[in-house]
Amino acid sequence: MSLVDTTGAGPSLAEDSVARPRRTVDRILAGNAWLVFAFLYLPILVLIALSFNDNTRVGVWTEFSFRWYGEMFGHTRIMSALRTSILVALMSTAVSTVLGTAAALSMERFRYRGQRAFDGLLYLPVIIPDITMAVMLLLFFVQAFDIVLLVTGVGLSRGVGTITLAHIAFNISFVALVVRARLAGLDSRLEEAAADLYASRWQAFRRVTLPLIAPGVAGGALLALTLSLDDVVIAEFVSGAGTTTLPVYVFGAVRRGVSPLINAVSVLMLVGSILLVVGALAISRRRVET
Amino acid sequence: MTELGTTTARSAPSAATAADASAVSLHGVTKRFPGGKGTQPVVAVDDIDLDIVDGEFFSLLGPSGCGKTTTLRMVAGFEYPSAGSIRIFGEEVGLKPPNRRPVNTVFQSYALFPHMTVEQNIAFGLEMKDVSRKEIAQRVGEVIELVQLQGREKSKPRHLSGGQQQRVALARALVNRPKVLLLDEPLGALDLKLRQAMQVELKQMQEHVGITFVYVTHDQEEALTMSDRIAVMDGGQLLQVGTPEEIYDHPRTRFVADFIGETNLLEAVVVDGTTATLTDGTRVRVDNGQTSGTTVTLAIRPEKLGLRHIDSERNAALDAVTGRVERVTFLGNAIAYEVRVGQAQAFDLEVRQGNAPGIEHFAVGDEVRVRWVPSSASVLED
Amino acid sequence: MSTIVTPPDLDEQPARPGRLPPGLEVKAEKAASRRGLFIGLPAYVYLILFFALPLAIVVVYSFATRSVTGLTVLGDWNLRSYGRLTDPLVLRIAWRSTWIATFTTVVSLVVAYPFAYYLATRPPKVRAILLVLVMIPFWSNFLARTFAWRLLLSSDGPFVRLMEFVGYTDLRLLFTPTAVVLGLVYGYLPFMILPLYASIERLDHSLVEAARDLYASGWEAFRKVTWPLTLPGVIAGSILVFIPSFGAYVTPEILGGTGTTMLGNYIGRQFVGTASDWPFGSALSVAILFVMTIAAMAYFRSGGKNL
Repeated sequence: MSLVDTTGAGPSLAEDSVARPRRTVDRILAGNAWLVFAFLYLPILVLIALSFNDNTRVGVWTEFSFRWYGEMFGHTRIMSALRTSILVALMSTAVSTVLGTAAALSMERFRYRGQRAFDGLLYLPVIIPDITMAVMLLLFFVQAFDIVLLVTGVGLSRGVGTITLAHIAFNISFVALVVRARLAGLDSRLEEAAADLYASRWQAFRRVTLPLIAPGVAGGALLALTLSLDDVVIAEFVSGAGTTTLPVYVFGAVRRGVSPLINAVSVLMLVGSILLVVGALAISRRRVET
Repeated sequence: MTELGTTTARSAPSAATAADASAVSLHGVTKRFPGGKGTQPVVAVDDIDLDIVDGEFFSLLGPSGCGKTTTLRMVAGFEYPSAGSIRIFGEEVGLKPPNRRPVNTVFQSYALFPHMTVEQNIAFGLEMKDVSRKEIAQRVGEVIELVQLQGREKSKPRHLSGGQQQRVALARALVNRPKVLLLDEPLGALDLKLRQAMQVELKQMQEHVGITFVYVTHDQEEALTMSDRIAVMDGGQLLQVGTPEEIYDHPRTRFVADFIGETNLLEAVVVDGTTATLTDGTRVRVDNGQTSGTTVTLAIRPEKLGLRHIDSERNAALDAVTGRVERVTFLGNAIAYEVRVGQAQAFDLEVRQGNAPGIEHFAVGDEVRVRWVPSSASVLED
Repeated sequence: MSTIVTPPDLDEQPARPGRLPPGLEVKAEKAASRRGLFIGLPAYVYLILFFALPLAIVVVYSFATRSVTGLTVLGDWNLRSYGRLTDPLVLRIAWRSTWIATFTTVVSLVVAYPFAYYLATRPPKVRAILLVLVMIPFWSNFLARTFAWRLLLSSDGPFVRLMEFVGYTDLRLLFTPTAVVLGLVYGYLPFMILPLYASIERLDHSLVEAARDLYASGWEAFRKVTWPLTLPGVIAGSILVFIPSFGAYVTPEILGGTGTTMLGNYIGRQFVGTASDWPFGSALSVAILFVMTIAAMAYFRSGGKNL
């Protein structure tokens, strides 16, 4: 509040001199915050708007239409890529959530030899650049398939299988990371209390540990799902000629040049991922309240 | 060690309890924890022998890190002894997992399951033991009544006050009718008023259910007010086991004397079996058994000392020294005096006098005689 | 240790009085260790097979030779691919990657610090909503978000149009380093905001008040109290932005041009088409991995483990 300094009283002056720069700083901070939000959301809004533009030239607005969405849903390659993406995401999330959660438990609740080495192995896929991981897995599959061909005479090719295997490889680490954070915050005396109350190890896990780390496991699974649906680079390198995921298809198309059809597909991916997160948030909210 | 508190009205088991009838008996129990890389293992509990009698309220008292909690955790089964034997009612349990032991624990910060209601928390142990639904409902209802939590059955622990959470933790353990209840500083998280109320309540509950309580605390007052017997621990060792009166009035070591209550420690040189000389030259009476010439330490509680004017009449039944009042502190229910005794090798005595009418007050500079009943001075072993 | 240690097969033993045989405690702990390892084992085996082994293959390939036809000859092991890491072209690309990543980090920090500060000083309810608004772009599709900038910056896009309207003609944004930095900042800004927010929110505000009480001006209080205490967040955020920016692949491909090739793109190029050179690409990958591991170790040193 700005004080009227007619009295010229000491306290009000002092208060004012402290308060005034504060408010300027606050205003700058608030302005910056709104700019950041604009920066984060405007491109998304522009993309969505342009996807409803009935014009083959991306930047020229003619009129509102669902034309590109219609084309998208009729496009067999896009639809097949979408199915591949969803399939890979679901499979890799399921496997990596189980393996990652088990790894997190093993890391947080036990001590054994070689643990530090495994800890490192668990962290590396998080920090490694996508392109390096992609190259590694490409060489691995090429080499492995060569050996399989040589030994059994069976010729394997890269596709849904290799993409899924690759996605599990990095998703295990992310799931483990999220679940570990949750486990670290969980008082281990709760597990002791369960044992003290005659629960076997399995009962203690099932009745106490698992329900309490469930939000972490769900968060890890959501992250795995998102990362799998987000991945371009690794999928591009380990996919074969026939099968691609949706991001790989879009990436290839963008490299050839923009088209309004890609706007629509991008919006589909964007809105899909946002709905996923907002849905997850809403569910976790509801669970907290009940 | 088999001596029991005799002042409590409760019928204590006879003194002739053999080790087999002990609720908990530890023999040569040692716990070593691996130290850091290249360091020696840390000995948390060092070769303890202890028998806890069925039905008693037994406290393990000591500062943090003294090994009391580790001892309790070994009885509960959360740690396994490096050596020694732990028996509960004669049955060796040293290496049994916690879920196969006839004991239950009240944890320091309760460790209530946050995702379960009060009722579910309390029923947990019975469900694990496959008790029938009907019996579970009945027993949970009983124990909720016992701890006066009616109406809070469906609440989650986080919606309860600290005192209520404490009761849930107690109920969750008691509902299983354990042979021994282990309590790890259960009142530590409560504020003073509530803690004092809960002390009384816990003690009454223990008398009501008749279960052996093993109670870990660092709070000497808590141990003194609630326990039938106390074991004082330090550095992984048992320093003294006895009734609160024994521990307080006749501490065996410097540590026990110092840790429990306030005390005056006086250096003395033994003259013969029954007398010793203080550093100011005063002769005082001591327990027998000391060889002459050895230096011993006497411990006397401040409130066991009386103050008289220097020229007051001497009482031959009491030992006394003379000195000068150095400081007077008004404590409300009592007055504390610091009296300097002797010249060259002077020592200070802390004297505490009640504040009842008729008790003489002194001022700084007064020459006084400090006197005590000879038996209230204990000769320490170290 | 909080592990509940349970010994194996001890229940069959009769409860006999007397001392326990020594060493059983150790056996019990070993059993718990084995169980812990066993629980983690499926994940470890998977990662050994699909991560460590591929990594080893890359290392092996980096010592191999490229034949004239572009195929890789496993044999004739040599260090030629590593020797090529100091080629002027490679150095130029490495330098470009470094400064683009550095620039991205600095811009992100300058934008994110005041933003995170603002966020952390809001009332809890507002804070929760704003935090969700930061998280949504963070969780939404990266490729689509980068693609949006392609539209925004294109020559007939709204940005250039606006500039033309104001009077700047011939403005070219797309396919420039600026576009790449913009895209990277856009992509990784949440990585900077979140650790900064966490460290600022944890800051005990009474410390700032204490500094003010001890005659510090607002700026001095910030410089001497707030900034040093939130430095772990700054370091964590900087590394979290620098690492993916340095190894970027998608953003330069979409928003950059021939003059903005970064290490990631250069590596990728060694594995596709007729000009491919797998041994050289492998050597580049090993080198970039080395740099990343050092950066990541710096991150864990800074105590940013919990993000």
